[in-house]
Amino acid sequence: MSDLDNDKRLNEILEMIGRVAALDFSRMLPVSSKNDMIDAIALGLNMLSEELNANVVERSKLDSINTKLEKFAYTTAHDLRSPLNSITGLVTLLELTVNPEKNSEVDNYISKLKTTTEQMKSLVQGILEYSKVNVGSVLMEDIDLNNLVKTVIDTDELKERAVIKIFDPLPSVCFNKSAMDQIIRNLLSNAMKYSDKKVCEIIVKGEEVDGRYQIAVTDNGPGIAPEHQDKIFELFNKVESEVKADSHGIGLATVRSILNAFGERIWVKSILGEGATFYFTIKKRR
Amino acid sequence: MEQRENDKIKFTYTDDGILYTDCFPNTIMTLVDGKESTRISAEMVNFTPRPLLCDLTNVVSMTQDCRKHFASADHAATFSKCALIVTSPISRVIGNFFLGLNKPLKPTRLFTNKEEGLKWLRE
Repeated sequence: MSDLDNDKRLNEILEMIGRVAALDFSRMLPVSSKNDMIDAIALGLNMLSEELNANVVERSKLDSINTKLEKFAYTTAHDLRSPLNSITGLVTLLELTVNPEKNSEVDNYISKLKTTTEQMKSLVQGILEYSKVNVGSVLMEDIDLNNLVKTVIDTDELKERAVIKIFDPLPSVCFNKSAMDQIIRNLLSNAMKYSDKKVCEIIVKGEEVDGRYQIAVTDNGPGIAPEHQDKIFELFNKVESEVKADSHGIGLATVRSILNAFGERIWVKSILGEGATFYFTIKKRR
Repeated sequence: MEQRENDKIKFTYTDDGILYTDCFPNTIMTLVDGKESTRISAEMVNFTPRPLLCDLTNVVSMTQDCRKHFASADHAATFSKCALIVTSPISRVIGNFFLGLNKPLKPTRLFTNKEEGLKWLRE
């Protein structure tokens, strides 16, 4: 085979690489009967293209199913809110009508009914917040994280439940404000919810690492076993509900979902019995 | 020793309990060929997994579903370990691709000569 022929075959290979890089898997390279190195490369590329195509198709099917599931979860949770509010009202009416003796059997049942309804409302709210994560057209604005953390502490009256310290000034970032509010609120309330100490201590720190801000929220809680450190970010994970009965395993999944939607990430470092530090990244402002 | 063949593969089951499969020149392996190969192999080893020496040298192409089939439990039930002989550039690509992506369920290694493959199968 002449150099000219080989040049042509190599050019076809280069073109094929370009197409595959552009996720165009429609082309298959001709493989001659020479069974030489160029044929081997062409066949290898053809097979890679087939496998990539199968993966891309599979991935887009999964994405489509996920989108439908999220919409379904949102609609279901949204539609459940109204009857749940009615139940809350009806239970209060029932309590007022029956006016049960304190600590009587009826009083206990009504109290349990109220608690269960509140748990359901919190679960529904959690699902709604998780499903709302969508960065399609969100407003990005400058946020002073120091102010935001302090506002969350004041609004949620967290000072009564924990000692929260902000180490060094936190950076100002460009992010969606309600999303950042949700992230901080979830991480702080999470630290308090699972605290096993008399005084829950939380430290919030920010530093620049590899051109991004890295925010760390450290607590003095029970810590997280290594085998659970990935699972706690999964939706409806059992790890959180095993530790705390009223946990639905939504909070951290929501935080991760928000951050991932903005191209950021979150992870945890922890030694069991020695607290945990949740880190998340935020792109620096240009 | 028992020998069988179809239009693409020659099967030889030797007295020392090793199954050899050799493809004829310019073989294109499809899912149908893969399943046929598994069926014949299973019959020849009497449905008991035996060491397999598979010479891919003459294979010029193997479809995606055929590769998947060769990595499946159905096919893995016919052999205990597998030496793939890859002496041509294309067979090397197919062999490497098979090991890297399809992850066969039983021990499988690539060899560039039969003697080394047989030595490993007899270990």
